[in-house]
Amino acid sequence: MVELLQTLLQRPNFIVFVILFLWGIYIMAAHPNFVKKLIGLYIVQTSAIFFLVAFSAKEGATVPIIPDGETVVNALNYANPLPHVLTVTAIVVQVATLGVSLALVTAIYRHFGSLEEDEILEQLDEQ
Amino acid sequence: MSSNLPMLLFLIPFVVGVAIPTVTVKRRALCPIIALGTVSVMVLLAIANLHVVQTKGPIEYALGGWGAPIGIAWLDDSLAAVVILAICMAALLSLIYGQVTVSSEHKKSMQYYTLILILLSGLVGIVFAADLFNVFVFLEVAALTGYALVGAGGGKASLYAFRYLLLGSFGATLYLLGLGHLYVATGTLNMADLAVRIPEILTSTAVVSGLIYIFLGLSIKMALIPLHSWLPDAYVNAPSAVSPLLASTVTKVALVAWVRIEYSLIAPNVEVGHVPVLVVLEELGVLAALIGGALALIQTDLKRMFAYGGVSHIGLILIGVSLGNTTGFTGGMFYLINDMFMQAALFMIAGILLHYHGARTLDDIRDTARFSPWLTGSLVVAAIAMVGLPPTGGFFGKWNIILGALEAQHYVAAFAVLGSTLLTLAYFLKIFASWFFQPQAGDTAAVELSGASRISLGIISITMIALGLSSDSVFQLLLATVNSGGV
Amino acid sequence: MIQPHDSAIVRTLGRIIIPVSQLFGIYVLMFGQYGPGGGFVGGVVFAASMIMAILIFGVDSTDSNLARKILHGDGVGLLIFAGVGGLCLIGGGQFLNYSYLQIPNLDEPSQHFVGILLTQIGVAVDVAVTGVSIAISLSFEEDVTRSEEASNG
Repeated sequence: MVELLQTLLQRPNFIVFVILFLWGIYIMAAHPNFVKKLIGLYIVQTSAIFFLVAFSAKEGATVPIIPDGETVVNALNYANPLPHVLTVTAIVVQVATLGVSLALVTAIYRHFGSLEEDEILEQLDEQ
Repeated sequence: MSSNLPMLLFLIPFVVGVAIPTVTVKRRALCPIIALGTVSVMVLLAIANLHVVQTKGPIEYALGGWGAPIGIAWLDDSLAAVVILAICMAALLSLIYGQVTVSSEHKKSMQYYTLILILLSGLVGIVFAADLFNVFVFLEVAALTGYALVGAGGGKASLYAFRYLLLGSFGATLYLLGLGHLYVATGTLNMADLAVRIPEILTSTAVVSGLIYIFLGLSIKMALIPLHSWLPDAYVNAPSAVSPLLASTVTKVALVAWVRIEYSLIAPNVEVGHVPVLVVLEELGVLAALIGGALALIQTDLKRMFAYGGVSHIGLILIGVSLGNTTGFTGGMFYLINDMFMQAALFMIAGILLHYHGARTLDDIRDTARFSPWLTGSLVVAAIAMVGLPPTGGFFGKWNIILGALEAQHYVAAFAVLGSTLLTLAYFLKIFASWFFQPQAGDTAAVELSGASRISLGIISITMIALGLSSDSVFQLLLATVNSGGV
Repeated sequence: MIQPHDSAIVRTLGRIIIPVSQLFGIYVLMFGQYGPGGGFVGGVVFAASMIMAILIFGVDSTDSNLARKILHGDGVGLLIFAGVGGLCLIGGGQFLNYSYLQIPNLDEPSQHFVGILLTQIGVAVDVAVTGVSIAISLSFEEDVTRSEEASNG
């Protein structure tokens, strides 16, 4: 038990990731306002991207470009570009999802006149 | 030129879809012509692709000239070729059918064509991708256009599209998380490379949790019970021109992505902590098939019944591919291709009922006097295919899944397939009871269907029967994938 | 309707900051060849500057002309990207294989440089147009391009 706590506390990045992920899911599920649900979804996606960043960070590494004239390449000095590329693409996917979701929220508001889930469900039950 | 076919199949709908808003800003009537032309070209290219793959073997396409595992590679083998041909044909028939309800004067018709073309390119990308991250990107491209298409109807549909978006994006995030775990454990994302590196470390926590996250993410996308709650509402409220294509392709392509990942990484009889992995997946399929069929039986709304039918068939296909032998695998994949056409046909019928007769529920069908013979005929063919009687393809798919289950001695799976068949028969009998009921002795004439609906219904019924008659050659193609080792 | 901002301070500062941030966006786009940066971030900074113009000066003013004109370029960025890839396809290699980019008077490293630069420019244009269109459509503006055509033609 103590060893488990010790290994957990040595990895604060992953604890932050877990907290963000669970908090985002709670916000998505618990709040009735649609924009708040969207914020919850955004936090969940950001936590997944944070996980990708957390394991790709490297101390003292530089940009993976070999300057002119150098022939000896020690891989330890350069940052691995692949997880950074995954991060950038995931951020772009997140922005696109946000765009489509905000358009849908606008359409919901135009039709129902409200953004609260309980009011909208009442309106649907009456129809 | 033939080695560039995968890229052409992806680029053509993408570029045309993005160019449509600028090109047709003044001439709205050109939209349907451009879209239909593009999809017809895609069908021809897909047939050429199938021919090339059959004669010359799988095409490995390295984007940017960088080969795997350093670069991104696309794998065009016979499974991918057959699935892409099925997707293109389903898209062509859905577009022809869409002419029934979408007219060019409507303000939103240009958006419909753009979104359908970009959806098509996303689906093509998912099937070709041999790299885990590529699957994620194209999964999101297809999903975002799907959300927009479901919500395009306005009104209530936007609420259900929003729910679909929340659940679908959550699923994609889980998939990304699982992908990150697998990358941390092995250092590569290429599926062929992972297939080499993972079997040694399959029991480590990172790999197991990565695979679980990926499976959860993909099961939300393919609507595996109990993660299916977005599907009935979204498909019932989507516009009639959209639901045939969405219902037939989106969940099935997510299942194809899972099959690729599962087949390379999880060998039969592998165990993690004394739990045989493939048996767990198979039991999940059993639950999905039976619960989906039962839920379909108690519905009164026609589209909802068909949506739950689709959900139960995903369970059937999952049983087939998780059996661990080639008979079950080929049966499951053949049933997937058939299911695409069956779902498209059912939603076309439901859409025509709504458009011409205003009938949504079984009571409305009972009150309608006469239906066009085209409609009745295609409903009968679709019913025969769904229940799984020869000569339609549904029979051969289910037959091979049952044979595979008996071969692997998983009797629960065989009983589940039979049980789901009985449930399908039951709810189709319910539909037929309302369909052939004569309300009073009136001699009203049947409503004439338009040319577009007749063409689409006719061709799809012929396709379902043709798939059954040519099942042998399709099975040979699917077996070629398994025997060449790569999936 | 977004009206021009009342405060003279905000409008003056806007006149200074907006062109500087557009220049910064283009700088980040070009610097992506050698360091952090590239198409996405450059496009986002460019979009932010145009959204600032709309928010400070209103949609109809002459200062936010670029923001309104750029909405016509929906999808142009993707066509540039696909065009470069297609040129590589036509030149004989696979999609985006810059060694086969057949532009006259270019040796091998310059082919890669020009190819990557063109793709990043395409991405930046697309991201900028998307950002501005999201901001405009969410502020209940009527179709800005459509109303312009109605008033012009």
